[in-house]
Amino acid sequence: MSASVQYALPILGGPSAQGGPPDELSAAPAEQGIDLIAALLAQQADLTAVERFSQQHAEADRPGQSRYYQSLLPATAPGPGQQYGFEVDLDRCSGCKACVTACHSLNGLDDGEAWREVGLLHGGGQAAGGSSGGASGLPVLQHVTTACHHCLEPACLNACPVDAYEKDPVTGIVRHLDDQCFGCQYCTLACPYDVPKYHAGKGIVRKCDMCADRLADGEAPACVQACPHEAIAIRVVDRDSVIEHAEANAFLPGAPNPDYTLPTTVYKTNRVLPRNLLPADYYNVRKEHGHWPLAIMLVLTQLSVGAFLVELILRGAAGGRALPDPVHAFFSLAWGLLALQASTLHLGRPHLAFRAAIGFKHSWLSREIVAFGLFAPLAMLYAGLTWWRPEFYERSEWLPQTLGWAVVGAGLLGVFCSTMIYVVVRREFWNGPRTTLRFLGTTVVLGLAVTLLTGTLSANLFPNAAAYGHDLTRPLAIALAAAAACKLIYEVAVFQNLRDLQFTAMRRTAVLMTTVLRGPTLTRFVLGTLGGVVIPALLAVGDPAANSPAALYAAAAAFLLTLGGELAERYLFFSAVVRQKMPGGMTV
Amino acid sequence: MSSSFEPLKPSRVLADLTPEGDGLIGKATGMLRAKTGRLTRELLREPGRFGLGQLPVVNQPDRTTTAVCGYCSTGCGLNIHLQDGPNGEPGGGGAVNLTPTTEYPVNLGMACPKGWEALAVLDAPDRAVAPLLKDGHGKQKPVNWDQALDTFRDRFQAIQKEHGAESVAFLSTGQIPTEEMALLGAVAKFGMGLVHGDGNTRQCMATAAVAYKQSVGFDAPPYTYADFEESDCLIFVGANPCLAHPIMWERVMRNKQKPEILVLDPRATETAMNATLHLPAKPKSDQSFFYGLANYFIQNGWVDRDFVANHTAGFEEYARFVEAFTFERVSKETGLPAETLRDAALRIRARERVSAWWTMGVNQSHQGTRTAQAIINFQLLTGSFGKPGTGANSITGQCNAMGSRLFSNTTGLLGGRDFKKAADRAAVAGMLNVPEERIPDRDSLAYPEIIEGILKGKIRGLWVIATNPAHSWINRNQLDDVLSRLDFLVVQDMYHSTETAKIADLVLPAAGWGEKDGTVINSERRIGLLKKVRKAPGQALADFSIFKLIADRWGCGELFEEWTDPEAAFHILKRLSAGMPCDFSGIRDYRHLDEAGGVQWPYPAEGADPAVERRLFADGRFYHADGRAKFLFEEPRPLPEAAGGKYPFTLLTGRGSASQWHTQTRTSKSAVLRKLYPDSVYVEVHVRDARRLQIAPEQTVRVESQRGSIRAKAFVTNGVPEGCLFLPMHYPETNQLTDGQFDPYSRQPAYKACAARLLADAN
Repeated sequence: MSASVQYALPILGGPSAQGGPPDELSAAPAEQGIDLIAALLAQQADLTAVERFSQQHAEADRPGQSRYYQSLLPATAPGPGQQYGFEVDLDRCSGCKACVTACHSLNGLDDGEAWREVGLLHGGGQAAGGSSGGASGLPVLQHVTTACHHCLEPACLNACPVDAYEKDPVTGIVRHLDDQCFGCQYCTLACPYDVPKYHAGKGIVRKCDMCADRLADGEAPACVQACPHEAIAIRVVDRDSVIEHAEANAFLPGAPNPDYTLPTTVYKTNRVLPRNLLPADYYNVRKEHGHWPLAIMLVLTQLSVGAFLVELILRGAAGGRALPDPVHAFFSLAWGLLALQASTLHLGRPHLAFRAAIGFKHSWLSREIVAFGLFAPLAMLYAGLTWWRPEFYERSEWLPQTLGWAVVGAGLLGVFCSTMIYVVVRREFWNGPRTTLRFLGTTVVLGLAVTLLTGTLSANLFPNAAAYGHDLTRPLAIALAAAAACKLIYEVAVFQNLRDLQFTAMRRTAVLMTTVLRGPTLTRFVLGTLGGVVIPALLAVGDPAANSPAALYAAAAAFLLTLGGELAERYLFFSAVVRQKMPGGMTV
Repeated sequence: MSSSFEPLKPSRVLADLTPEGDGLIGKATGMLRAKTGRLTRELLREPGRFGLGQLPVVNQPDRTTTAVCGYCSTGCGLNIHLQDGPNGEPGGGGAVNLTPTTEYPVNLGMACPKGWEALAVLDAPDRAVAPLLKDGHGKQKPVNWDQALDTFRDRFQAIQKEHGAESVAFLSTGQIPTEEMALLGAVAKFGMGLVHGDGNTRQCMATAAVAYKQSVGFDAPPYTYADFEESDCLIFVGANPCLAHPIMWERVMRNKQKPEILVLDPRATETAMNATLHLPAKPKSDQSFFYGLANYFIQNGWVDRDFVANHTAGFEEYARFVEAFTFERVSKETGLPAETLRDAALRIRARERVSAWWTMGVNQSHQGTRTAQAIINFQLLTGSFGKPGTGANSITGQCNAMGSRLFSNTTGLLGGRDFKKAADRAAVAGMLNVPEERIPDRDSLAYPEIIEGILKGKIRGLWVIATNPAHSWINRNQLDDVLSRLDFLVVQDMYHSTETAKIADLVLPAAGWGEKDGTVINSERRIGLLKKVRKAPGQALADFSIFKLIADRWGCGELFEEWTDPEAAFHILKRLSAGMPCDFSGIRDYRHLDEAGGVQWPYPAEGADPAVERRLFADGRFYHADGRAKFLFEEPRPLPEAAGGKYPFTLLTGRGSASQWHTQTRTSKSAVLRKLYPDSVYVEVHVRDARRLQIAPEQTVRVESQRGSIRAKAFVTNGVPEGCLFLPMHYPETNQLTDGQFDPYSRQPAYKACAARLLADAN
């Protein structure tokens, strides 16, 4: 090249005429060879020669690619009752996946990050000419490119506790506000299409914005520009027709039911897709993230609420004779506060936790935070009075009961909100009855377990003060054993799904629990049975006095094991759930 | 969802808590609701210059230049986005991004995932950054170039002294520019006195090259990509362009002729999905298919008599030969019903511009050459040559397989010449100013014979450039043993982590695509330009520089004085091409290539046709002395290792996805590409076979042949025929099973079919 380093080749001794190695090795002075190495290394590092080729790309008014994508963009802006949507022509998608790499490159995304994915549906019958039998027709391989569907009812937006999503009133584009996000990742649970992706390094979620600023400039989104086969287009869609499609479940085989979020992407094809089409990753079972901070937060808030609840019931049963027990109050409160602390560890940007209530109008996560935000000070007041101003309770007829019910009411409201967080995202393992039974079950089981412990602890520390008038160790132990047994039996029932003929979401959950999650599953049932059933049963049979060390040790063991079991249960709640998603590619 | 919690830096926390807004109220609102900030700005796009449209702010180019992609033979043009250097050196900051070139006549503004990620793979941590030399304990240690070159010379010269000049061989590649492979071939053969050298193109295109040479007189794929658009009937044989050549498929998708698309492939591939008629013939029965088709056409009198009479030789013999291939017989051999065969014939007959396209399904076969010629024969007898939308068209594999076929100086002398012809040797000697006696007067051993030579102890030293035989060679378990017998193995590669580099005695660190200049020749004979737009890491050097250093150290540097840089070498290549069918002596220089969007050969100095897209044989004149194309044929042979007995399955191999390239030395380095394919080997099993063997989807199974045994995850699909298994070639396990069978004419390995068994129990 013109700008390359000029160097002279050392002239060496003549080679032998027969070919092969010259007789004299290294006839040249060594320095010359080293000079050549240095010259070539210097030349290798020089990039400026490229300058002479870089003049041809003159400034242009329009992007060059517009000649290809003009027909793939809408001619007019959306009118009332309309918005933009992706349109995918399945007949043109050949599975090259250039759209994914273009999204990554043209949007400056991080390593491995892309907002478009390509899945594969396969099925159909044996190829013509082969032996007969099985499904009729030809085999089908249908690649499916997919990104955010910019839904009419975006689950991400509704779930977000900090309003980090907005849906453009004109274009309908669902945009994520990266600086507003505090990294709770609830949207990643809520979206049935697995669109928002958590970026751990940045502590926030990021997602497709349909290249909104490109569209505003009349340019095509990265994926549209890059598809060699013009399979992706942007079209104006009527919101009514989106709803009609959702009603008829005419979205895409192998995709989640569109009635949840009303996705606006249109998948069109002239082919008749066979009924046995399955996503290529249909049989893939992959454990989900265990979300330890959330598991701890849920279990401990429920423990705390349960502890207050059990105490209130017991004092009610004691006919108002009993006063709040400081030991119990301490335990109940301490676990609750620990729980709320744990929840912030879940946030990618915990310093922005103060934004959490912004989405109260629509986000169950905001509501949960508000409810527990109410519960915490009430519980602190309640417990504080038992320690520092017990006379308030002695003087008043109504104060202990009223305050107690306020604490429990706020707590149960919090547990209800926790439940709803998971119920609304439509994962099979997290449906209404399943989540409600689990969360209430934990409330009751751990409430009983902690009360059993505080009762014996209090009796051992203050042998003269009988908290509820008489020794409740045995009835509490029986109640705990019964409640824990019920919960465990309910949980074991999940394995019935192993017999499902189809590879249902619940069968996947059961498969996960018997394979990759075998360890946590065993832990859950062993700890739960020992702590929740066996030890309480022994305690009930042996019936030691509450103030005996034996009762205390047994109660402590029962509590710790039960707590461990519930934490394992909650870890499984997160890790064994099956997310909804668009058809995936081969994952084998 | 990711689990890692990166500690927040105080500065970032402070930034997050210092919202952007006007006045106290604005700031307070911003604290609660931040619509903008540092995270939003990271993903901003700005109006791009240079006609590129909006681009991310993080890597806005200061200028752009076009280079041709370095993966496959499609030869797409890519706009490289350059930043200037820290002191404003034009382009000195190197390439920061790329986009497909809108105007490039090959790809029309598109690229496949490999192309989009071509720059990303240059930054891998396992790049070779210094020469590595095995120490006394067999551990590779970095050394400087001076030591590396001394060792290279001393060890190879010692071997040659003891065992003769022929005892050192080299393996070239279709992955480096023509200038480099020509210099390599010249230095190795004329300078170092080596006789034997072959390329990895033996594994991909040797069959097509031989078939063309024998049939039309020169290795000359006749088409231009416009033929994909202009044909009204496309017959794909053993080709899956949807995955293997996605940008060629782009051209098919732009076809406005409502074409008939026939796909001859045992598997229901993506391309087969887009066929108007998929013909799932039994593996390697395509030769019989085309003989049967020829016979049917001849029997019905559908022969282009004028074309056959004026431009071909041997038709009568061919007509007599194919008489035996009735549809009854062909049906038995292909497994396709006779009515399907008739349907295919009628569909082809009904169209005007019939083109036939083949790739590895034909080339990698025990009878590939004759199969390719069966396709050529069919196109000859229907006169489907030289007209728009016609041709018997081989789609090549590697980016510069076509350059290798003409200029690698391995099994053929530079410029498509013959080592055995004194006139050719004299011509080359004259043009290169090399003593004629330095040019070997016999052909090199082909790749399989070089391997055999090592086994027999005749080859003791091997120099491997930009290829990975320890992964890619057929029946590679045996190859591991073979390579271990070498006295000295040198591997020259971008990465020190390839299966072959890991066992090398000496690793020479090479610059890769984007780090050097040169030209490549694509499938449609288009010469395209590669450019140096990135600095190579550490001490890595362009292969061109490495060859020059070796020539210098060997003591034969003065023979290659004229090869000062790649562009100077290009002028030498022009000279070598002059007067040959591949004459491109009319190309002025690199700038000419750059301005023209590549130039197809032929482009002679006199009377060159300046059209951007050109095809060969418009005048019906072929390259044989008599100007005629030959009908070449042979009785089909059974599979060398038919399924049956203990190994009841036929094992097929091939490309897995458009995001994977060959042995994955490059494509596995991009995080985005890695998302697009399974990370470990899988085997495709038919639904009924899986049911019969009680194999569940995703179950880990064992696949065995007589040569090896591997574990793979089962992908249960009816895309693969019953009784067949399919393994993608990109995983190192696959070639542990393949059978070392070769086409007798092209010596190309028959990767695509061997006998195997499947065990549900992987242990």
